[in-house]
Amino acid sequence: MSLIITDLTKQYNKHKTGLADYSITIDRGILGLLGPNGAGKSTLMKIIATISKPTKGTLLLDGEDIVKNPDSIRKILGYLPQDFGVYPNLNAYEFLEYIAAMKGVGGTGLRKRIDMLLEGVNLTSDAKRPIGTYSGGMKQRIGIAQALLNDPKILIFDEPTVGLDPEERVRFRQLISDLADDCIIILSSHIVSDIETIADEVAIMKNGILIDKAIQSDIIKKAEGKVFEILVDNDQLTALKTKHQVINTSRQKDKTKVRYIIKSHSIEPGSIAVNATLEDAYLFLTQSNN
Amino acid sequence: MRYIYSIIKADYLQRTRSYAFLITLAVTIYAAYSFVPPPTANYTTLNVPGYRAVFNSAWVGHLSAIMTSVMLSLYGFFLVNTGIKKDIDTEVGLIIATTPITNFGYLLSKLISNFLVLLTIAGCTFLVSIGMFFLRSTGYPFHIADFVLPYLLFVVPALFFISALAIVAEVFLGKYSIVQYVLFIFLFGVITGGISSNKGNTPVVFIDPYGVSTMTTSIKNTINTQFHENIKEVSFGFIFGEKHKVNKTFLWEGVTWTNIYLFSRVLWICLGIGLVYLSSFFFHRFDFERPMSKKKKIKSHEHQHETLTIAPAGISRALLPPVVADYGIFPFIKTELLLLVRKGSKWFWLINAGVFVSMIFVPLDIAHAYILPVLWFLQVTRWSELATKEKTNRLHYFTYSSYKPLQRMLPAQILAGVILAVALALPIIVRYLIALDIYSVINIFGGAIFIVLLAVCLGIISGGKKLFEIIFFILTYAAIEKIPVTDYLGGVSHGSHSGYMATILMLIVFLGLISFSVRNYQSRHL
Repeated sequence: MSLIITDLTKQYNKHKTGLADYSITIDRGILGLLGPNGAGKSTLMKIIATISKPTKGTLLLDGEDIVKNPDSIRKILGYLPQDFGVYPNLNAYEFLEYIAAMKGVGGTGLRKRIDMLLEGVNLTSDAKRPIGTYSGGMKQRIGIAQALLNDPKILIFDEPTVGLDPEERVRFRQLISDLADDCIIILSSHIVSDIETIADEVAIMKNGILIDKAIQSDIIKKAEGKVFEILVDNDQLTALKTKHQVINTSRQKDKTKVRYIIKSHSIEPGSIAVNATLEDAYLFLTQSNN
Repeated sequence: MRYIYSIIKADYLQRTRSYAFLITLAVTIYAAYSFVPPPTANYTTLNVPGYRAVFNSAWVGHLSAIMTSVMLSLYGFFLVNTGIKKDIDTEVGLIIATTPITNFGYLLSKLISNFLVLLTIAGCTFLVSIGMFFLRSTGYPFHIADFVLPYLLFVVPALFFISALAIVAEVFLGKYSIVQYVLFIFLFGVITGGISSNKGNTPVVFIDPYGVSTMTTSIKNTINTQFHENIKEVSFGFIFGEKHKVNKTFLWEGVTWTNIYLFSRVLWICLGIGLVYLSSFFFHRFDFERPMSKKKKIKSHEHQHETLTIAPAGISRALLPPVVADYGIFPFIKTELLLLVRKGSKWFWLINAGVFVSMIFVPLDIAHAYILPVLWFLQVTRWSELATKEKTNRLHYFTYSSYKPLQRMLPAQILAGVILAVALALPIIVRYLIALDIYSVINIFGGAIFIVLLAVCLGIISGGKKLFEIIFFILTYAAIEKIPVTDYLGGVSHGSHSGYMATILMLIVFLGLISFSVRNYQSRHL
């Protein structure tokens, strides 16, 4: 199974472009989308989810044009939007039955399927309560459960870990890894560590353009030799920020430990070269593409 | 003071920058046109049997102003009574609650914002009224004061008072919009009843926020003086089919603004501010936490503990039961009905039940013409949400990306709405069936489909509930007044049965086509 996106453009108006001639091929596995706000991640996901039409370009799922025939992907789609809501008067069972109807899932096994999904997202004990009484994290977990109702072959998660506590985030990562065997999972997040832990491939976007797409190790390689750490006096920090791209700072008594990416070839005396992470590479690539 | 100004400005802009408001303005312009009917029209808005006023600027200006005062007060309440609710829904209220603004300051800013919205609409009718003068006038001179003063002294105080009532209703009955509507209509009926019962020669300015009695008394006195008559009553409002033969025309120069009238307007404005001030002591300030009983608290902690100790099972695709395809719409209808039934307070179903049972016993024509429109109107908040709730609950991402949403989801919503309407009309339907009156049964079904499609269509176009709620209110009011042109459920006898049914059918088809076309576009353009 593969999704081939070619020259995809979404022009909202004269001055606002969501995506610009975006081309990417997505195969089985987990693709992590990284990018700053307004990079076009949600736009791309909405177009793949068929709820937004591109201005131009093609999306072929195993050769089938999903812009012309959106119902072909809808049958096998699981979508968790960034800012979704629920009907507060329904309980979890009723809500999932409703979504199942939307997805065209029925039969005698539906109730059991819902039971197992609720168990999987740890909501069994709250399943009979109206969803309006749920916390943000619980609603997010209901969202994850609904995305899996129809045994989807394409799963789109837009900022899925928002509102989840650390324990739930870990659980979500495990869940996604377990599901990834036989389908395409597209996942966007601002939290680089979420992508780092679970994504097979990473696509970095900015201003509606694909900057890079590769397996994590190849992306990280692009920042190798450019990331350093140094211990500086607190009053030197401002000067350092003007010369280099500071990624992280941590205060240590009267000194500050600074992790930075060199902008030019000049390394600060006393710096130690460190191994680049995905976060370093992401910041390096998005900044250097200004 | 500056932050109050900012709240007013933001609130006003937020409300007026919408399709629904634009549509409201368009409807207002048409309404303003109908406020000043020509002598040949089949209705009147201010009727003195046997007499007709000449179209001088005093008549056109005052008539337009008084109609605006009453009609806009009536539907304006429905238009503005969600100012605080919007802040709750958007959670902006939580931010406002943490600012130094006082409860009264906040409510006052909402009051002024309500007032400005209504004033904007009144501004449109004012401009139309001037146009109407030049359209209807037969050579009388134009006096701008005949337009400005009635709008200033009839419309402005009335709209201010209504804006204040909307705030009070929201503070005390924020969660129960249908109760707000019922109480407001009751209050409106009491006020207009009080005004109509005045047969004397002096206006009842202290029970008349609109200024109607001031104008009708002035007209009565003018005719009585000019023609040595003893007219007791001047009919006001849209009156169809009761035209009397006009023998004489009279020249009316407008209202003489007395000090007592001006004082009464100040009092109505002060009453509005006073009511809002009193409400501010009961305003929730967006704190909806209710203290729980000890027992409940303990239970809640136990429950939380239990939740935390459950080990996550994880999800294994292999263990999940296989997916069975079912693309029918019956599960949707079931859930849509569930949502319709659960909407609002459970206690409100008792009122529905009471009205439902009454339709079994009252004369059939009364049940059909009066009780059924009221019972259906009591469902206004249910139907107004039919096609808007996905958007307001941010569930449209799921519905629009589902399999064939247009062919499955929308029909299910319409069907659920129609099922509710028909179920509520069952006593009348059964009685008509027993009487073998199939024509009336078809009309009720047609009315049910029409009103549900109207809700769906206006919801889809405007993206909100308000437009339908206002129009449904006007339709219900007109249905009870037995105005033939607005009779959507066959409560009034029509000359041609087939012509009437064909009209309703055409409207149904038209509304259906618009609904499906616009929703089709929306589902692909998020």
